[in-house]
Amino acid sequence: MIELLDVWKGFESHKKGTWHTILRGVHGRIRRGDHVGILGRNGSGKSTLMRLLSGVEAPDRGVIRREMSISWPIGGGYGLQYNASGAANARFIARLYGTPVQQTQDFVEEFSELGKYYYEPVSTYSSGMVSRLLMGLSFAVDFDCYLVDEALSTGDARFADKCRHMLEIRRQNAAMILVSHNAMHVRQYCDTAAILRNGMLEFYEDVDEAIAAYQGL
Amino acid sequence: MSGHVPQRVRRSALSSQLGVLHALLVREMQQRFGRSRIGYVWLLAEPLMLGFGIAVLHWMTESHLPNNIPVFLFYALGYMPFYMFRSILTRNAGAILQSMQLLFHRNIKLHDLTMSRTMLEVVACMAVVALLVGGGIVFLDEWPAYPGLFVLSLLLSALLGHGFGTLLASLTTFYEPLERLIHPLTYLMMPFSGAFVMLSSVTPSAREALLYNPLVHVHEAMRYAQWGDRIVAYYDIPYTLLWVLILNVLAIASLRVARRHLTMSG
Repeated sequence: MIELLDVWKGFESHKKGTWHTILRGVHGRIRRGDHVGILGRNGSGKSTLMRLLSGVEAPDRGVIRREMSISWPIGGGYGLQYNASGAANARFIARLYGTPVQQTQDFVEEFSELGKYYYEPVSTYSSGMVSRLLMGLSFAVDFDCYLVDEALSTGDARFADKCRHMLEIRRQNAAMILVSHNAMHVRQYCDTAAILRNGMLEFYEDVDEAIAAYQGL
Repeated sequence: MSGHVPQRVRRSALSSQLGVLHALLVREMQQRFGRSRIGYVWLLAEPLMLGFGIAVLHWMTESHLPNNIPVFLFYALGYMPFYMFRSILTRNAGAILQSMQLLFHRNIKLHDLTMSRTMLEVVACMAVVALLVGGGIVFLDEWPAYPGLFVLSLLLSALLGHGFGTLLASLTTFYEPLERLIHPLTYLMMPFSGAFVMLSSVTPSAREALLYNPLVHVHEAMRYAQWGDRIVAYYDIPYTLLWVLILNVLAIASLRVARRHLTMSG
């Protein structure tokens, strides 16, 4: 379970002296096996929330309790080494998280379908290729919860099917939190949804209800 | 494909910590030496060129070291503790700001970033030292007088560099321009480090002043370990250890403060 209790986060602006508050008292609870979509407009603090959930950054105030292993935020090329090849990244992830090195490298190669580019530096990849690599890398580790930050949105329909299939395999105990500004993706992958607005999180039991509310914004 | 989905192997806290360091170490190695093999050559070239240059100067001025100590080996080897200290210091100082991306993996702690860099520098510099000592044995029949003290003094130099470098790395997260001061700082430290001057050849008052610097103790100890009673050395291991302890405790404390205020973007 992941629990957020009155979580606040802000940043000092580059213009000296001003402070932007991004999250203003976020509450929430994600259980094992939950597939939650978090909808929010650009700049609503989705990525900030992701970084806090994954534990990369600490909240200014409030508590985040993690009782499952959580992936790093998957999307935007986070956690990748751009001057190393996809294969080198896979071996790095294997050593870091303790999965068998050769098996992990083979799995990511098969999953991400990068062909010969798998052995080229990530800096030469297109954004779609980066997303496929990231999904492969994160699925290679059996996390209890996958944090997906828009990474699913760049793949084609067939790749989306593959990701869904993979999530099914991991599903026995894997939760997923999908952050997106796109209602379609949330409908595709999630069972419940929440809207991030005005720095607060509103949970909806029903995805369609959440999407209707989101589109009414 | 569901048949061969990788599963994590259960690891103890220690072995998962070692796993993190191993992953970072391999990565550092690829970054530092992976591009071209010439990286290894440069690592060796600097102390060799220095030793050679000073040997030529001595030969031209017809000055000699006491008790038939070979000039080239004396200076090339004597420079190594400082060389190692400086390369650990400069590599560590940029360790955090250059690898922010890695912090997205929660099991990588700030200290892992500098520890992995220190380990790599120690291994690389030790290889150079081994080559120099080996060359001395083969060509000049010069064996280190006290091998234990020899290794200890090198390790102390590494730990001083690690503590100072890690402290600087965490301070640069508060004030980035600090990074620019590190290079001039290491140059200014060189004449006061005792890498090129034996304390027995300076005035007693200068010696007293120099002995406040822990690096001086390290160099003196290493020269004594190599040349034994052919030189007179002044060093105090407990004093150096105290510096190692203070620097590393300060470094760890400031990393703790730095981690909380670090942001990935914005």
